[in-house]
Amino acid sequence: MLMPRKPPKGFRKPHKPSRSGAAKGGTRVVFGEFGIQALEPAYVTNRQIESARIAMTRHIKRGGKVWITIFPDQAITKKPAETRMGSGKGSPEWWVANVKPGRILFEMAFPNEAIAREAMRRAIHKLPMKCRIVKREVGEA
Amino acid sequence: MSEVRISAEPRTEFGKGGARRTRRAGKIPAVLYGHGEAPKHIALPALEFAAAIRRGGINQLFSLEGADGTKTLALPKALQRDPIKDTIDHVDLLIVKQGEKVTVEVPVHVTGTAASGTLVSIEHTTLTLSAEATHLPDSVEVSIEGAEAGTHITAGQITLPKGAELGIDADALIVNVTASPTAADLEGEAPAEAAEAPAEA
Repeated sequence: MLMPRKPPKGFRKPHKPSRSGAAKGGTRVVFGEFGIQALEPAYVTNRQIESARIAMTRHIKRGGKVWITIFPDQAITKKPAETRMGSGKGSPEWWVANVKPGRILFEMAFPNEAIAREAMRRAIHKLPMKCRIVKREVGEA
Repeated sequence: MSEVRISAEPRTEFGKGGARRTRRAGKIPAVLYGHGEAPKHIALPALEFAAAIRRGGINQLFSLEGADGTKTLALPKALQRDPIKDTIDHVDLLIVKQGEKVTVEVPVHVTGTAASGTLVSIEHTTLTLSAEATHLPDSVEVSIEGAEAGTHITAGQITLPKGAELGIDADALIVNVTASPTAADLEGEAPAEAAEAPAEA
């Protein structure tokens, strides 16, 4: 499962990251031929990323390559169930990637477009927001 | 590639508000510069410009017709697109002259099918070429017909269109044909920390 190797440099229990606005970068397919692009903001957990990756790689079987272009580097905290309010912030529970609309989450290179699209469709079902499949534009600046 | 004639209106409103009003009016805010001239702020018809880029690619040559009847040849230097709507937000246009050599990025098209059990990875999707502004190639073709695993196609091995010169190192790897990863390889690609670890660092 993807997670930061070292403890975060800043705060161990940070505020929840902002979900407003659109992606500033990582909005074009650069490594592979196809990509999954987010259309809504969401926190994507490392489990969801791994689940989507497995769904894709199991469908294409062999002959392709998958790139993960997001990383879950934000810690989200949670207070235990049935706990009274107060007594400080809860403990870090998940690692998430703060995804904003327009962001490419996964990229794939595969010779057969129909199989690649089906693999990505299966991966999208594992993700918590609306996504679309995009193709690399040739020669775009 | 033949030039596309397009009307260019001078722009008097600048900044975020002005640019948004221009876009609402069905135009694209653009800037025209080059050859030591002062930058000119113009507005281009959005649909016509987008259609020309769709048909001719990023290196489409434009003949801009000003309100006073002046004609200027220009090449798109940078395009800003909306990541969700995929509309063109802004264009930088570079003034060029007839016969002038310019350096552009030309898309690489891979043709043919490599041998079975191989994975073709395109390391550079564009090739930097120096060519006449009025005779820019649409694309560069690279054939991988029957290529076996371990085949490397470098920039120097590609047959360039007439009049074009290579703008990058001839040893630069363009297409790499490798043995395709097996299903087991793909499964084993899982990141190192496979163990269920809580977020507590």
